[in-house]
Amino acid sequence: MSLARPDGAPGAHFAHLGVSPRVLQRVMNAALSRGGDDCDLFFQHTQSTSVALSDRKVNQVGTHVDLGMGVRVVVGDQVGYAYSEDLRPDALVAAARAAAEIAQTTPGRTAALPTARDVIDRTPVKRPWPDVGIDERVAMVRSWEQGAFSRDDRVQRVEAYLQDAASIIMIVRPDGRLYEDYRPMTLGMLRCTAGKGEVRDSSGHNVAARAGLEFYDPSRQDHLIQEAVDRTIFLLDAGKPPAGDMPVVLAAGPSAILLHEAIGHGMEADFNRKRTSIYADKMGARIANEHVTIVDDGTIPNSRGAVNIDDEGNPGQCTTLVEGGILRSYMHDEISAKHYGVSPTGSGRRQSFRHAPLPRMRATMMRSGPHAPEEIIKSVEHGLYCVSFQNGQVNIGAGDFSFYMRQGFLIENGRLTRPVKDVNIIGNGPEALASIDMVGNDMKLDEGGWTCGKEGQSVAVSQGMPTVRVSSLTVGGVG
Amino acid sequence: MTSTRKTLDLNDVADTIIVLARELGADEVCAGLSSSSYSEITRRDSQIEQAKESRSLAASVQLLVDDRFSTHSTSDLRSDALRSFLERAVAATRYLEPDPDRRLPDREELGLTEVELDLEDRTWEDGDPVPRRRRAESIEQAVKTRMADDPVRSITAYAWDGRSESAVAFSNGFRFSNTRTSFGMAATVSLEEPDGRLPESWGSCSMLHEDDLWTVDQLTDDLRTRAVAQLGSRPAKSGRYPMLLDRRVVSRVLGVLLAPLAGATIYEQRSCLADYLDKRIASSTFSMWDDPLIPRGAGSRNADGDGRPTALRSIVEDGVLKTFFIDVYNGRRLKRSPTTGSASNIVVPPGSRSVEELASELPKAILVDGFLGGNSNPTTGDFSFGIRGALLENGERVAAVSEMNVSGNILSLMERYTTAASDPWLLGSWRTPTLLFDDVQFSGT
Repeated sequence: MSLARPDGAPGAHFAHLGVSPRVLQRVMNAALSRGGDDCDLFFQHTQSTSVALSDRKVNQVGTHVDLGMGVRVVVGDQVGYAYSEDLRPDALVAAARAAAEIAQTTPGRTAALPTARDVIDRTPVKRPWPDVGIDERVAMVRSWEQGAFSRDDRVQRVEAYLQDAASIIMIVRPDGRLYEDYRPMTLGMLRCTAGKGEVRDSSGHNVAARAGLEFYDPSRQDHLIQEAVDRTIFLLDAGKPPAGDMPVVLAAGPSAILLHEAIGHGMEADFNRKRTSIYADKMGARIANEHVTIVDDGTIPNSRGAVNIDDEGNPGQCTTLVEGGILRSYMHDEISAKHYGVSPTGSGRRQSFRHAPLPRMRATMMRSGPHAPEEIIKSVEHGLYCVSFQNGQVNIGAGDFSFYMRQGFLIENGRLTRPVKDVNIIGNGPEALASIDMVGNDMKLDEGGWTCGKEGQSVAVSQGMPTVRVSSLTVGGVG
Repeated sequence: MTSTRKTLDLNDVADTIIVLARELGADEVCAGLSSSSYSEITRRDSQIEQAKESRSLAASVQLLVDDRFSTHSTSDLRSDALRSFLERAVAATRYLEPDPDRRLPDREELGLTEVELDLEDRTWEDGDPVPRRRRAESIEQAVKTRMADDPVRSITAYAWDGRSESAVAFSNGFRFSNTRTSFGMAATVSLEEPDGRLPESWGSCSMLHEDDLWTVDQLTDDLRTRAVAQLGSRPAKSGRYPMLLDRRVVSRVLGVLLAPLAGATIYEQRSCLADYLDKRIASSTFSMWDDPLIPRGAGSRNADGDGRPTALRSIVEDGVLKTFFIDVYNGRRLKRSPTTGSASNIVVPPGSRSVEELASELPKAILVDGFLGGNSNPTTGDFSFGIRGALLENGERVAAVSEMNVSGNILSLMERYTTAASDPWLLGSWRTPTLLFDDVQFSGT
């Protein structure tokens, strides 16, 4: 069962987590006892539930609970970090003292008594998961299975999965700021295996949001079933594209994995602060065509990458990274913001209380441009049109990135022809960004459950993109 | 973090969970407790960048309630919280449809292989950060000195160590526990190319015992060799080349062969190898086994994930597939005897000739020593990965390569396996030498 949102006035999280303002002050005093510049306490209580269907039976359920507090002590750009899963005051103080070891033995500072501040809620929930019975979840995944089998008789097997989670978060700072946040999340997944003659293949679709049961309205459920089945059936007739360099047209929506890998990571400020990003010396420079504007937006209501406050307590916001082709801002946490003398962009995120925050993406999107999608396809004589993707990766410094296409079409003489599947596409980030020469007018935020990994930490992200043309990328095909 | 936690007996907590869950209506229970301590130092620009201290305690619970099975986990072990957690878990399980194949293993299936694996370095001590800090400092200093004449932009050094202890108890009375330690050192270096690219290289060594770790000089030499070798990398021409697959990265390709051998994949009809048991799936020169009983081995274990005794198991012998990875549940669903649910230490036997000797006989070849993204499809066996490495001609490195893909089908790739070099990698759970494959599809310019 997910956790319910704590009721009542600001400060309700104290009671839920069993700590008082006095205890928090004592823990922060321990964190600053060796003279650290700053510190934060990050309390987290997460509960999640999953149900899974396999083999025509809803035969798996899982419940998971995570509870603890992480304490970070900052001295300049040095960080001491420790956490405790035991929320008794002595355990919290012991963690704070361990984190304080980073600082020199100089006279300590004292923290103010914390009071709760307002937080804008961008993830309101209409049907909270704690009020949804397991039987209701079971009925829903079963209906997805039935929908998949009845949509196409080539579907032979179906696996379905529904997860919901809610986290109660409390962030405390030594200047007295205290932020309480409630973070819902859900992910629905449907996987199909289909066969035709000797050919068999599997694929699926997933949808995710920071929302309650209302997310799964009838049209979303129909869409999930349709996408899962159609993406699987598509593979039965798909072949391999030719290998080598070619123009690539990326369809609107999930193609934003290109933005995420080729461009997004290189604009996280920590890599630039450490001078290891290829964008380290490019602020204010032209790095893309004038039609290219890229934002990283934590304010899209109920999106998977939505952030009411980041994990340092800074408000969620929309950061313009590239405006009309000019690099305008990195994504900052407090450490990098201080280094660059700018305000944090609300991008300090962490996987859980077990990790220190880092600059991370939220919902990374390219704004719509002037071109009609049909016009973009028509402009390519021989190339690849990419529809859906599975995963990607980047080398931040060298700039080379890759993403794995699950589903696409060859473009021949300006028309989509043969269906193709399962190829890796590789390129150089700055070169790929500079080679985006047409931008569609059809920006679409992808609904999938994307998860971004960095330095051993996973966080939920969203991404969106209009149809674009990249003049050349290397496709891992055959021949 | 507190003394209360340090002295907590994991077996006692496991027993408490079993008693409580049975009181609440569970027929069978398996409780796993794990407790770990881990410390890590990161250094950059001649100072500590991050010092991290982790102390973790968590429980996982498998329940069988009226022929219904479920899995749960929690790090909230306060007694009231634990009770309500188990109440919710048992109640949720009752909503499932019965699955008679989902049972915990019978008592007679459970057991340990009695081999001393030496997974714990008893010299490990919690608390004193000084040796770790010194190790990180000496790594950073050594890289700086060794690479003083190279175009270095940034150096980061890491040192870590930790100990984890786990206890697993079944309601049928079987229980086992194990403790393992880990010690590690690593460095990354970012170099500056004339065109502004900043390629990064890493060197890393992680072992269960501190006295098995590399020296700082070994780490530094290894890092520098690899960092300098990739300067000036570019895509090579698309085409078919022999592939030398470096011993450190073999897992990325042979992992494509292991994925379709998993019991769940076979049962769900998503395996391209389901019909290949005792049939040829590779060149007859290829053999590979799973050995869980290597002392101090990274993947070694006395019991597998189901709590069953472990044993050496041939996966491919002279090109013929000899086993699937089938756990107890999927064994029941497939009506086959279980083997083990997952791999432990994968071993490919080394050949007699060095990588240099093998390369010298190839007019042209691509050495793959790193991967970037890509994926594979267990249903078809198709794979496509981004790579980096070097273009070799008659054994000479003529160019560093990157931004290329390698693609194909695992069955046809394994048929083109030629031989193994004499350089087995022994630092991880993939204990494999460099492998040579003929006629592999690469795409570049």
